[in-house]
Amino acid sequence: MASASTSKYNSHSLENESIKRPSRDGVNRDLPEAVPRLPGETLITDKEVIYICPFNGPIKGRVYITNYRLYLRSLETDSALILDVPLGVISRIEKMGGATSRGENSYGLDITCKDMRNLRFALKQEGHSRRDMFEILTRYAFPLAHSLPLFAFLNEEKFNVDGWTVYNPVEEYRRQGLPNHHWRITFINKCYELCDTYPALLVVPYRASDDDLRRVATFRSRNRIPVLSWIHPENKTVIVRCSQPLVGMSGKRNKDDEKYLDVIRETNKQISKLTIYDARPSVNAVANKATGGGYESDDAYHNAELFFLDIHNIHVMRESLKKVKDIVYPNVEESHWLSSLESTHWLEHIKLVLTGAIQVADKVSSGKSSVLVHCSDGWDRTAQLTSLAMLMLDSFYRSIEGFEILVQKEWISFGHKFASRIGHGDKNHTDADRSPIFLQFIDCVWQMSKQFPTAFEFNEQFLIIILDHLYSCRFGTFLFNCESARERQKVTERTVSLWSLINSNKEKFKNPFYTKEINRVLYPVASMRHLELWVNYYIRWNPRIKQQQPNPVEQRYMELLALRDEYIKRLEELQLANSAKLSDPPTSPSSPSQMMPHVQTHF
Amino acid sequence: MFSLKPPRPTFRSYLLPPPQTDDKISSEPKIKKLEPVLLPGEIVVNEVNFVRKCIATDTSQYDLWGKLICSNFKISFITDDPMPLQKFHYRNLLLGEHDVPLTCIEQIVTVNDHKRKQKVLGPNQKLKFNPTELIIYCKDFRIVRFRFDESGPESAKKVCLAIAHYSQPTDLQLLFAFEYVGKKYHNSAHKINGIPSGDGGGGGGNGAGGGSSQKTPLFETYSDWDREIKRTGASGWRVCSINEGYMISTCLPEYFVVPSSLADQDLKIFSHSFVGRRMPLWCWSHSNGSALVRMALIKDALQQRKIDQRICNAITKSHPQRSDVYKSDLDKTLPNIQEVQAAFVKLKQLCVNEPFEETEEKWLSSLENTRWLEYVRAFLKHSAELVYMLESKHLSVVLQEEEGRDLSCCVASLVQVMLDPYFRTIIGFQSLIQKEWVMAGYQFLDRCNHLKRSEKESPLFLLFLDATWQLLEQYPAAFEFSETYLAVLYDSTRISLFGTFLFNSPHQRVKQSTEFAISKNIQLGDEKGLQFPSVWDWSLQFTAKDRTLFHNPFYVGKSTPCVHNGSAKSFKRTKKNYSSTLRGMPSALKNGIISDQELLPRRNSLILKPKPDPPQQTNSQNSDMEQYFREWFSKPVNLHAVILPRVSGTHIKLWKLCYFRWVPEAQISLGGSITAFHKLSLLADEVDVLSRMLRQQRSGPLEACYGELGQSRMYFRASGPHDTDTSGTPEFLSSSFPFSPVGNLCRRSILGTPLSKFLSGAKIWLSTETLANED
Repeated sequence: MASASTSKYNSHSLENESIKRPSRDGVNRDLPEAVPRLPGETLITDKEVIYICPFNGPIKGRVYITNYRLYLRSLETDSALILDVPLGVISRIEKMGGATSRGENSYGLDITCKDMRNLRFALKQEGHSRRDMFEILTRYAFPLAHSLPLFAFLNEEKFNVDGWTVYNPVEEYRRQGLPNHHWRITFINKCYELCDTYPALLVVPYRASDDDLRRVATFRSRNRIPVLSWIHPENKTVIVRCSQPLVGMSGKRNKDDEKYLDVIRETNKQISKLTIYDARPSVNAVANKATGGGYESDDAYHNAELFFLDIHNIHVMRESLKKVKDIVYPNVEESHWLSSLESTHWLEHIKLVLTGAIQVADKVSSGKSSVLVHCSDGWDRTAQLTSLAMLMLDSFYRSIEGFEILVQKEWISFGHKFASRIGHGDKNHTDADRSPIFLQFIDCVWQMSKQFPTAFEFNEQFLIIILDHLYSCRFGTFLFNCESARERQKVTERTVSLWSLINSNKEKFKNPFYTKEINRVLYPVASMRHLELWVNYYIRWNPRIKQQQPNPVEQRYMELLALRDEYIKRLEELQLANSAKLSDPPTSPSSPSQMMPHVQTHF
Repeated sequence: MFSLKPPRPTFRSYLLPPPQTDDKISSEPKIKKLEPVLLPGEIVVNEVNFVRKCIATDTSQYDLWGKLICSNFKISFITDDPMPLQKFHYRNLLLGEHDVPLTCIEQIVTVNDHKRKQKVLGPNQKLKFNPTELIIYCKDFRIVRFRFDESGPESAKKVCLAIAHYSQPTDLQLLFAFEYVGKKYHNSAHKINGIPSGDGGGGGGNGAGGGSSQKTPLFETYSDWDREIKRTGASGWRVCSINEGYMISTCLPEYFVVPSSLADQDLKIFSHSFVGRRMPLWCWSHSNGSALVRMALIKDALQQRKIDQRICNAITKSHPQRSDVYKSDLDKTLPNIQEVQAAFVKLKQLCVNEPFEETEEKWLSSLENTRWLEYVRAFLKHSAELVYMLESKHLSVVLQEEEGRDLSCCVASLVQVMLDPYFRTIIGFQSLIQKEWVMAGYQFLDRCNHLKRSEKESPLFLLFLDATWQLLEQYPAAFEFSETYLAVLYDSTRISLFGTFLFNSPHQRVKQSTEFAISKNIQLGDEKGLQFPSVWDWSLQFTAKDRTLFHNPFYVGKSTPCVHNGSAKSFKRTKKNYSSTLRGMPSALKNGIISDQELLPRRNSLILKPKPDPPQQTNSQNSDMEQYFREWFSKPVNLHAVILPRVSGTHIKLWKLCYFRWVPEAQISLGGSITAFHKLSLLADEVDVLSRMLRQQRSGPLEACYGELGQSRMYFRASGPHDTDTSGTPEFLSSSFPFSPVGNLCRRSILGTPLSKFLSGAKIWLSTETLANED
């Protein structure tokens, strides 16, 4: 009995908080003014098309293409379907059908999106309407190939808070109690000369000189030297991140690197060993020696213990997500849902990432050992592990602003290659550099929030909007590969931050069950028994699968909160009135039963 | 009980005080204090001292020392040692922390480490070695382990044999409930009415806490059925008494409801043609007049057509619009009880018996292979289709099944839970179980396998609870009860004290307990058999405080559940007329005419009373149903009306609290949905307190004491107004709450899985990745 909803209630659109939605009551339906428009957004063209909805069949509509989005409104009276797709989510545009195509709706465009859906439009063969649409879409969806700016640089939105001020590295390190007598803040990378993919500001051991750092950089892949990510407020153990050592086939050693790791170890007096987590499977780590990389050997690093975390590389993750899309879009594999899901290995990868992060967190918190984390270049798996471990260890990062800081710090500033992994404005959809590493991280966060419903200040919507704008190119937040590139492009001056949008409308992204707690380490259970496919993200386009929105449990809580406030207000009023009248009998005839219906809110 | 069925000679000594076989033990004064807490009628059969209860799989450091006792009711482990690693325990008043009721035992395994021997103990078996270890596999998924390294070998062996013997009784009357209730009757011989439990034979609805004074209708009497007819507004149906004294059928209740147009005389004649003489039984009526009816197959081939016709005509006559009857042959559409049992066995194997880490990699496909979720889904899906027939097609539905007492119980209940919000309250749900399971002759004795010898075991009742849980999970605000309530209810089927889940039929209770009473010289007076305690008297098992955990803080209820006699319920959803307050029948239907288009045949069904065939009918049936579901799901849910399950693979989930609660590796400490439950409870409690204060203020000083009467409905209470933001998650909360895996699941293994191994236990599969492309 596949449960289903009609197109009437089905809007395939992303969030657009700062703009007014077109009125859905049909009054303004035929006016082009009703198409939402961001400041700086311009309409390029509009065309009559047939949208081939995989759930409700072909729907006649008018499509409006701007320099930011593709917007489709149904022209059919019984359907209020709206499609609102930022061009940034498009990864591929293909023509389907040729001049000889027969059959209904076989001639048109097939658009593959980065957010787990495909869009198909059928067009008339006459009048070059397909060619026009194809060219315009290609031009604006892949502006980099046409020497056009990404929309973020044209966006003129204004918000009452500035998201670019959310993350200030000095403040964040100060919050962690840094610098202290073991760790110092260095500006050695101010001009990105030590490492062009690292942030300008780094925290390093007090006892390591800038010259030491330069020598260590020569032995670490892409000069990504071990630097501090997080320090435990009580036991002062640290999480340090870096790239792989350049050991190579010959098993090269570097005294400076060995000494440097020893200096890091010595900042913690509780344990005589430094723990190194190499995120890769050991076979991959060995294989990397062939290309000059490798891992820390026992002989060279006597005071370190090395563990491999068996997390696979970006290519494996990309293929895994592809398989997920195959089983959920457009139709959900029904007859063998669980085994199909298993065959994608997606949850198994999630499990490995979470398991690795749990180990890091546990080592630092209970094992009282400092931890060094790396993979190959230290910008994918390493970012996943450090940020997730920090989320487990430090409740600050579980608040909305704290999470923004975490993303800004461990991902954006430390050079996760967002531009390469997402391919913003780039037409090369087969680029081997693309991979859903950040999505996987957000998925892990969602898994944690499922296991600890009261531990996070943000809700599921918050995670989804982050992912939506990971692709949309409306904000500058996720553009470019590293801080130095962003600085060259003056991203903070020329674009708007995603956090401006979110923080100016925080209530919408708050988890009502949030219970602020300090110093509680969260250990999720990284077991297939608890991990679930994130249906509300991966299968959100399918109206038959979509879960109740808003979440009935959250809604119930909000209702009770409102009721509580109303009761308190009424109680205060009554107390005032009673104390004024004292012995007078209450004149109000209202009885408790008249009050009660408020409790039983009908949804 | 011993005078009735003397145990075999080898066990004679058990009747005597426990023999002091071990001098070493009796010289230890501390052990002597360890005395079991016994219920009336409970006798210690055998015991052994210096027993170690294993707590953790991989270490003995948490093990507890104490005395292991076998009584005629339970296995009891008595210890002075405090429970390690555990800060909270949800206590059953009938059982100690470490106790296992005998009826909850699935399998007994004795082990001798030195001789490397292992034996599964059946009743009356010999044991050739002295056991060093005893492993009890419980029906509720627990695995309890005891070590006898320091105990007297003979005593240990005797206890093991006693447990094997007493947990596998040969006769129904050997179940503890008889001894217990017999003792109660003797103790209260001077009282007129048997058990002075104050609720007239344990009909207790007083159990669930929250100050509710309602009782669960047991449907043992004429008046309960009559009230149910009036509550549902069913016209055209009457209570029938022809089975009084079980004169017609021994597997039907004494009173049931039939079409008014069928005379007692006709029913008596028809009854002979039905399997088990189980003629059609009315279950429930929709406010649109459509009825839900269940019946057995007609075995008499010659009479089949005629009787079928008569029955269906009568049901049609009882419909205010004379609507047709839709028949659903459950044997053809649903898995049978053996398949359900096979799925359950696999599920259990997967969830608790197999090593945790080894099942991780293939967890999802293994879960799929058990087929348990598939079956839960099948029952939900089929029930939802019948809801469509009743609600949208205005057809009366007849459930047909060979005997009509297995699948029918489950489907009839699920349909009613979906359609009638009353059955989503605690009292309503309990009355539903009485009506569709206990009274309708679901064979609890065989299906629960209390006597451990039938091949008729099948967990259909659990499947019903699981399916209900799926609905609760999808509509958390639609149910008055919590998932804890459902889990505890399942556990209660394993305690042989309550009459509710002990028998195959109401007649069996009367017959067996009358025999027992005679043999025990108990005067029954005018009672029909012994009155066993009812499971619905929850106060027998849990304190008032613990019972508040049954309440779902998310529930959006009416201040009083709709039990007003005779008034039609206020839920009704039609395509044209969406209203939550509509009472009675929609006026559009009152003329009794429905279009022919609405009466369409379907595969696996036959609609009697053939109609002239409009040509466009046949293929539109499924799409009409699709359309109905599609429209329903596109609208906001009215929690006081029909609720329908979403049944795609992504929606049907494993009921983790029930199946994982004892599994330590699966426990999320300080997490799980209970933490949100906790948070909401605090707020709901605060709102309750405020509303009472408000009432007090309004009613003035004369009635000021009124508010004090109200007890909190919530287990978790706000310590004061406005403190919901500051109180953190209590330390004892976990995804297993209120249960705890500590000491309850101890798999046998040479060396368990230490945490470190568990964490890094991720498997490396050879993947297709290109190593050169390492990021």
